[in-house]
Amino acid sequence: MTAPLLQLTCVTKSFGAVRALKGVSFDLGAGEVHALLGENGAGKSTLIKVITGAHQPDGGTIDINGERVAHLTPAAAHKLGIACIYQQPALFPDLTVAENIALRLEPATAAHRVDWPVRRTRAAELLHRIGAEISPDAEVRSLSMPEQQLVEIACALGAGARIVIMDEPTASLTQKEQHLLFAVVRDLRASGVGVIYISHRLEEIFALADRVTVLRDGESVGTRLVGSSRRELAQTSSAESQSGPTSAATITESELIKLMVGREVSSIFPPAESEPGDVVLSLDNLGCTAGGVKNITLDVRAGEIVGLAGLVGAGRTELARILFGLTPADSGEIILNGQRITITSPQEAVAHGIAYVPEDRRRHGVILEMPIAHNMTMAIHNRLFPGTWLRFGAERNLAQEFIRNLAVKAYGPEAPGGSLSGGNQQKVSLARWLATKPKLLILDEPTQGVDVGAKSEIHKIIRRLAKDGLAVLMISSDLPEVLGMSDRIAVLRGGTIAAMLPGKSDAHAVMAAALGQTEDSR
Amino acid sequence: MSSSSKLNGWKSALLRHESVLLFLVLLEAFYFNAVGRNFATADNVGNIIRHSTEIGLLALVMMPIILTGGIDLSVGSLLGLCAVLFGKMCQEGGFSPLVAGGITLCIGAAAGGFNATLITWLRLPPLIVTLGTYSLFRGLAEAITKGTATYSKFPQAFLDFGNGALLGLPNQAWILLAVAMGVWLLIHQTTFGRSFRAIGFAPEGARYAGLPVERRVAMAYVLAGIVAALAAILFTARVTQARADAGIGYELLAVTAVVLGGTSIFGGTGTVHGTLLGVVAVAILSNGLSRILSISNVSRELSGMLTGALLVLALASGLLSKYIAAWRARRGVAG
Repeated sequence: MTAPLLQLTCVTKSFGAVRALKGVSFDLGAGEVHALLGENGAGKSTLIKVITGAHQPDGGTIDINGERVAHLTPAAAHKLGIACIYQQPALFPDLTVAENIALRLEPATAAHRVDWPVRRTRAAELLHRIGAEISPDAEVRSLSMPEQQLVEIACALGAGARIVIMDEPTASLTQKEQHLLFAVVRDLRASGVGVIYISHRLEEIFALADRVTVLRDGESVGTRLVGSSRRELAQTSSAESQSGPTSAATITESELIKLMVGREVSSIFPPAESEPGDVVLSLDNLGCTAGGVKNITLDVRAGEIVGLAGLVGAGRTELARILFGLTPADSGEIILNGQRITITSPQEAVAHGIAYVPEDRRRHGVILEMPIAHNMTMAIHNRLFPGTWLRFGAERNLAQEFIRNLAVKAYGPEAPGGSLSGGNQQKVSLARWLATKPKLLILDEPTQGVDVGAKSEIHKIIRRLAKDGLAVLMISSDLPEVLGMSDRIAVLRGGTIAAMLPGKSDAHAVMAAALGQTEDSR
Repeated sequence: MSSSSKLNGWKSALLRHESVLLFLVLLEAFYFNAVGRNFATADNVGNIIRHSTEIGLLALVMMPIILTGGIDLSVGSLLGLCAVLFGKMCQEGGFSPLVAGGITLCIGAAAGGFNATLITWLRLPPLIVTLGTYSLFRGLAEAITKGTATYSKFPQAFLDFGNGALLGLPNQAWILLAVAMGVWLLIHQTTFGRSFRAIGFAPEGARYAGLPVERRVAMAYVLAGIVAALAAILFTARVTQARADAGIGYELLAVTAVVLGGTSIFGGTGTVHGTLLGVVAVAILSNGLSRILSISNVSRELSGMLTGALLVLALASGLLSKYIAAWRARRGVAG
């Protein structure tokens, strides 16, 4: 057996305190489609960036074509035949297809002269090789998204790429376009190219892939064969793949989800102590074209935590933005405490008693340059400062109260928000909204990038708030968090609610709904 | 490093810029007093105040705008337009200066509102919008005067006001002080100032905090329009005539004074007292130079060059203190 095209061994990569990759091994053979699967934040993009040379790994080794590569740069990766095709092709829209291909492939000549016929013939040849019916003279602007992806693939082929990475290539494609793309991927495989295929869609993985590797929390939790084809490749994969490909389509789909989810929901989450009360928020067929959200029907009760699960881009943050008036709804109804309301600006949302702790706390949640006291009172200017006159003493007292209640670690109310750690910044952001005494609290990824200790503190705070009768809508990509905290779970997919599940559901059900696996195929 | 010393370091860094500036101002004053004639006389001090009132007013309202991360290049042109309209109303419309003044203030507010509308509704960058209205307002002023006419028929009482004094200080000084007090309260004692800062630091963050970002930004530009109109009236009273070229270049002097006074051109940080110090520094420099160099042309150019040098010096000193603070903090952490 020849050396694999690509062999990563125990690759590690950290960003600050966050360990994005904790020793991942991965290999890719010639003529293989190897799918990469994992939850949001499992380490897929970091791994891809290591392979394309965009990130330098902290540890581990990379072998390409059997040779150790010590320092992989993007330029070196390109020379070694690694090409990456992104969801959004990075072509120049105002240039023709031939010009775009030439930009990637033609070396600059001394005279900077362009041989137009050669350029065109070459482009036509490459496009023909992948079976694309695209004119080399067409402006890229006029091409559809899959056609642009085909041009990217042509570029990759033209550059002699032997390893092609496709990052969710079908995310924006129609069914028909997908089949075209699949055909090209199969052609690539037939010509000996190794393809790393990233997708959230299980059916694609089963249609295309020879093997699949599942990443979870920066670790490879298993590499498995898919389907019955190309069994001989199994020898190169890890020992874990012994579970084997017996009628893979049914077993593996379920098994895959199990692999992705993995962790048991532990008892670290504070237990629910409250009985849900009256309905606080009721959404009826809510939709917003600009936000890509449609037909949302959902109730949230006082004292209840409703988890919003789903993949990135499923419409969770978009729903929060609608409720907070950042992108107002254009269809359906919002009923708050029995009254139909419209929300067209954050000020209106605040006036209605809706609070939103945003996902990006450094850009939206906290103003880093301002003291935390100022940050905490920012949403209650009207209430705390009647007649607009600042009352520094009252502000200080309020800030100190929150610092004490939420155990914010800061040297005082004057500390600038930027001087705090992520978890403490999140508490400041939370304090700002608790100060408004809201009826509905929307939390968007409340513990993202927060260390373990602060995470559990934030969970306790959220639970305490629910106990005090607050209606909580919690968006989270952290599956154990959704399962452990929520009284009910709404799973969003494609901008609408795909499933409504009870709290303490099993992770498998949530992931299956998020990925769009149908009930009966489980 | 203990937490309290960290706090003191932060505070003193803020104070440092203003102390550096105060030192520069005193240095200027001592130097001109030593080499020039009649610099520190009551007459000359009154003269300095009288001549720097308009720029001082513009700087005071430029400051909140820069605090929001914006800029208003149209205030000088607006001063010219308002002066011409005020003169025309007095001379040809038969209005008393009081009534004409009231109308002029409204016109200033409307002009500021025009800037604000383009900036907040159409979301155009303030620099571009006010660069456009910079030409527009001046062009309108010139169209009204046909480029040559000046209005100079004002009641004697109005002209007396422009060159009179109250309790030993020029009349303008009291108006400047009143406006400075008002802006200081607005910036340092009300939620408006707090909102301006938040918007200057992070416009998106301010929106997510539920602040009415558009309304606050609009307010800053409307205020600038009103005060530019007030400056136009004072200008007219001082020079006893209204011309279309009134206030040319004032917008840049105002920006200079604000930035010299320690307000970050990127928004968020700055104080009103710093801005006042900046105004004084610029005013003393140009007055002092004209005293030691009697040939006015030379002094004008030199004044420009030295103002520029002062600006760079003051900003560099601020930066230096920041670097020193950062270096100290690093050393503190390491050790």
